[in-house]
Amino acid sequence: MVAVTSYIIVSAALLGIGIYGLTVKKNAIRILFAIEIIVNAANLNFAAFTRYMNPPQVSGQVIVFYSIAAAAMEAAVGLALILVAFRINSTIDVRKLSKLKG
Amino acid sequence: MALISIPPDITFIVLAVVTIIGSIIALQAKELIYGAVALAVSFIGIAGFFVFLDAPYLAMLQIAIYVGAIVVLILFTIMLVRREVMDELTDTPEHGEGTAGLWLAGLLAVAIAGVAALAGPDLPTQPKPADLRVSDLGPVLAIQYPIPLIILALLMSAALLGALVLAKLER
Repeated sequence: MVAVTSYIIVSAALLGIGIYGLTVKKNAIRILFAIEIIVNAANLNFAAFTRYMNPPQVSGQVIVFYSIAAAAMEAAVGLALILVAFRINSTIDVRKLSKLKG
Repeated sequence: MALISIPPDITFIVLAVVTIIGSIIALQAKELIYGAVALAVSFIGIAGFFVFLDAPYLAMLQIAIYVGAIVVLILFTIMLVRREVMDELTDTPEHGEGTAGLWLAGLLAVAIAGVAALAGPDLPTQPKPADLRVSDLGPVLAIQYPIPLIILALLMSAALLGALVLAKLER
């Protein structure tokens, strides 16, 4: 079987990709992509660690269950916010959404 | 796991490649629509990992919620945002932002992977054979952790109402 280290490395790679997208991208929808990738990296870690426990447990799977539900809500609210921002500013460039700066 | 007769290492590597390449394309694709499709592929890869980790229920949830709901929601949003706005919004990094982001992300990933590799000998390499069933999840959800489940339900209705109100917001 595969060692748990391999899962951590895949998860770290996904986290790195997500952080890169979060810091560099300008399109609000793409930043949402990056957030989803980071959440997936965390979920993968939970599922891997709970399987490699001795004895194997399902608590980690329950946490992933909560996390998937929370991510779905976050996506719904985030996309609604992006739509509102688009309607008000007619752009989704995060550099130009600076009305709250005052 | 008798279902899969391919060696587990090869399955793992294929899943890892699909997931990582999918997420890179999701962020780098020129067209946002292609990016959303690549994101769906990456999510399916994660679902494969869940099957591999004896969590078929999570794999089902992953496909139903991530691929079925979130990606479709993203596709609708992309279609609602006007085309010209998308086209003039270039996602290419400027003023060395790209290098800075690559350094940050690379250092973070290498640090985590390095710690995992250093601790490698102490970490389990072989999962204990387990007979985890989907029905094992029920008691843990409903008896061991009932409060988070209730909070999640409240949060979910609040988020849905919030999303509806936001989307209907007048100028």
